[in-house]
Amino acid sequence: MANELTAKTRNSRSPLRVTWSVWHALFMREAISRTMADRMAWFWMLFEPIALIAVMIAVRTFIMGGRQIAGADFVPWMIVGLLGFMLFRENMMRAIGAVDANKGLFAYRQVKPIDPVLVRCFLEGMLKTLVFLVFIAIGSLLGIDLIPDHPLGVMFDWLSLWALGWGAGLTLSVASSLIPEIGRVVRIASLPLLIISGVILPLNYLPHSIQQYLLWNPIPHGLESMRLSFFDGYRALPGIDMTYLWLWALSLLALGLILHLRFAQRLKAQ
Amino acid sequence: MIEIRNLYKRYHNHHGSNWVLRDINLVIPDGVSVGIVGRNGSGKSTLLRIIGGMDSPSRGDIVRNARVSWPIGLAGGFQGSMTGRQNVKFVARIHGAGRDVTEIIRRVEDFAEIGPSFDEPVKTYSSGMRSRLAFGLSLAFEFDVYLSDEATAVGDRAFKAKATQAFKERIGQASLIMVSHSEGILKDLCQAGVLLEGGRATWYDDINDAIGTYHDMTDKKRA
Repeated sequence: MANELTAKTRNSRSPLRVTWSVWHALFMREAISRTMADRMAWFWMLFEPIALIAVMIAVRTFIMGGRQIAGADFVPWMIVGLLGFMLFRENMMRAIGAVDANKGLFAYRQVKPIDPVLVRCFLEGMLKTLVFLVFIAIGSLLGIDLIPDHPLGVMFDWLSLWALGWGAGLTLSVASSLIPEIGRVVRIASLPLLIISGVILPLNYLPHSIQQYLLWNPIPHGLESMRLSFFDGYRALPGIDMTYLWLWALSLLALGLILHLRFAQRLKAQ
Repeated sequence: MIEIRNLYKRYHNHHGSNWVLRDINLVIPDGVSVGIVGRNGSGKSTLLRIIGGMDSPSRGDIVRNARVSWPIGLAGGFQGSMTGRQNVKFVARIHGAGRDVTEIIRRVEDFAEIGPSFDEPVKTYSSGMRSRLAFGLSLAFEFDVYLSDEATAVGDRAFKAKATQAFKERIGQASLIMVSHSEGILKDLCQAGVLLEGGRATWYDDINDAIGTYHDMTDKKRA
């Protein structure tokens, strides 16, 4: 009977193959728990940004009255900014929870703490891209001008924000597992970050002296650049620079990888 | 063969850090099943986790020239929010089962005999059901060395008999390193023994000697 129970396991697989199997297994697990666990998971994935946009439009109408954004309609302007910001934020947030949520699986030495983080960020980016495409399709049907003027530029900016979220997620997933308070602070900081990134209120109206400091934050660089690729006549915030964003993204990615290498054992043991 | 050289292990906590394992030197030959005995907290599970590659030593080396399983037991190994089937599928995938996944699932399901609970989240399982699943899962893969951390302790009579039987059929192809407090099973399945005391390990070629010394030690303490 014992032999009947035995299945073939490859005698020795190359490290690359092992990693690939782990990613595949984790991806299937994450994809199922993300889309099937909750009966309404698919619905919320679309409805959450819609509701958020509705609330933001209400807030803005209340605060700003009828002031216009130069070179772009307000609703598409907001949708682009909000989805771009959510791409970054969700990548970061999901990554923070990734190590903790897969703790039970670290019993298998093939699974390293970095694997669920990478897989989650990949999955999150794919889902957000899908949501974005659905938004563009539905928006266009409703007569909202959501067809990008420079599709390639939009794709590049989208990837840049994804990379930034990925880097932040990698770094913070280690930091928040070692020091739980960091996760809490990041959660609190995400709303102010939404405001100072110019998602709801255009940063153009702020005095130049403040704008300079806000440009230290890499997120508005990506958002404004993406809006510029969407709307040809848009007057973006002066001083945006994608190189600056990529500097952040690559530094965070490198830092995150280093931290994962250094603390892999401690993350596993927790 | 598994070789452990000058292995030290400690965990850091807020109150400083005591050595859990101190200067362990062991050579476990191929095909020899080893029972690890010792008091609660003497580092048995830690040693097993290090052998399984789940944890790394603070100092020293461990050489594994064999396919070693993960530590099969109550703690860890399953993701509570996933069903039994999903957990099995996951483990089969990370071990590179490829197309054999469905076959492995079927075998584990047959062995575990937990009925419809196989499709319920693992966190709803009783400890006995968990150990049935864990055990069935590990047997679905061909390892040279199986690590068992009280894997059979909470099973019922029928399951214990089945598990013992399954292992006996593997003797010759595979060996076992097991932590257990039920001496019957140790004597039944293991040839050699390791006694852990105060972070140090002593090797006994005969498991009965290891258990005997362990008994003397505890009796002396009580007296």
